[in-house]
Amino acid sequence: MKQNILLLLVFFTAVSTAQNKTIAVGEKLVYSASYNMSGLMTNIAQVKMETSEVKTSKSTLMRLKCTATTYKKWDGFFKIRDLYESYVNPKTLTPYLYKRDISEGGYYKFMQYKYNHKAKLVTSLKRKKRKDGTTWDENKSVKINPSTKDIVSTLYYIRNLDIHKANPGDQQNFTILFDNQENTITLRYIGKETIATKIGKKECYKLALSIKGSDALKGNNNNLLWLTADANKIPVYATFKIAVGNGELKIESATGLKH
Amino acid sequence: MIKKLFIILGFVTAILAVVLAVTPLSTLAIAPIIVAFVSGVLVLLVSRKEKTKTKTIQYIFLMVIIALFLTIYKSFNPTSEIGDTKQLEQRDEENLENSIKTLEGIEIEEDF
Repeated sequence: MKQNILLLLVFFTAVSTAQNKTIAVGEKLVYSASYNMSGLMTNIAQVKMETSEVKTSKSTLMRLKCTATTYKKWDGFFKIRDLYESYVNPKTLTPYLYKRDISEGGYYKFMQYKYNHKAKLVTSLKRKKRKDGTTWDENKSVKINPSTKDIVSTLYYIRNLDIHKANPGDQQNFTILFDNQENTITLRYIGKETIATKIGKKECYKLALSIKGSDALKGNNNNLLWLTADANKIPVYATFKIAVGNGELKIESATGLKH
Repeated sequence: MIKKLFIILGFVTAILAVVLAVTPLSTLAIAPIIVAFVSGVLVLLVSRKEKTKTKTIQYIFLMVIIALFLTIYKSFNPTSEIGDTKQLEQRDEENLENSIKTLEGIEIEEDF
């Protein structure tokens, strides 16, 4: 028992002081998102996760960019052109600026978070489109916890966890700011599993995700993430279950990796 | 009476199957294909028992075959072509430019 507690402490200490050893500038991961229709998985959209370097007069930051684009045949039904980005410290992956620019079937929304870590404050800007095409803004200040991140930087931060030190059943909470509200996401390590992917047969860390106090993600073991059990910890496969069905995200290609 | 019911059911589901099979929602055509096929078989059996000929059965089976062919063809040839991304690319560039300006005004204290 004592040993378990000690191991858990080591795991969490390692997590809290994690440095970026996994993500390189110029990395590009391409995924195919599918949705279950009549028991058959149908490819719906392409999801890309890219990193690049952004220079300002004072510092050099890393831009983490995620885009979602529906395949041509779906554009007539429900056109999705989503852009999520986070500007982070390349060493610690601490976010400084987050943007969510989404266009989904005629619905447009823009969210921007400017982080002030010293004051534990996020200045948020929400922009929406009216029916006549004009936009309206909403500015807010949101108090955050010291560890609060946005969804994009959290996705990359998870890859920096020392999962090899964790035991099956260990879990870690993350606070994510989404729509100006802090949400706690629990990540539980299930164990190792070897799966076949488009980039080869990979031994993976299998992780389960759940949102505390929200039923956006259904079930305890339906929202899973497989990260390769190597130094790159590439997310190669993910399954999710939401109120209107279930789907999956499969890797198509991975380039510009650090290791 | 039962024969009429299955003829209507078979015909409606067969049309629905063809319509769905043509659209990108082709996988959703599987359920109406099955219902139309079963209805068609039942109508055929009833017709044989009654020793009558119903032309509708041929139409139902013809539509089932078309829908089935399209659904199978589409599932084996998934087109994963991305649509027009010009607007997204433009938003991407605009966001990047604005972000650099915004980042200039943000206090970054951490050691790089």
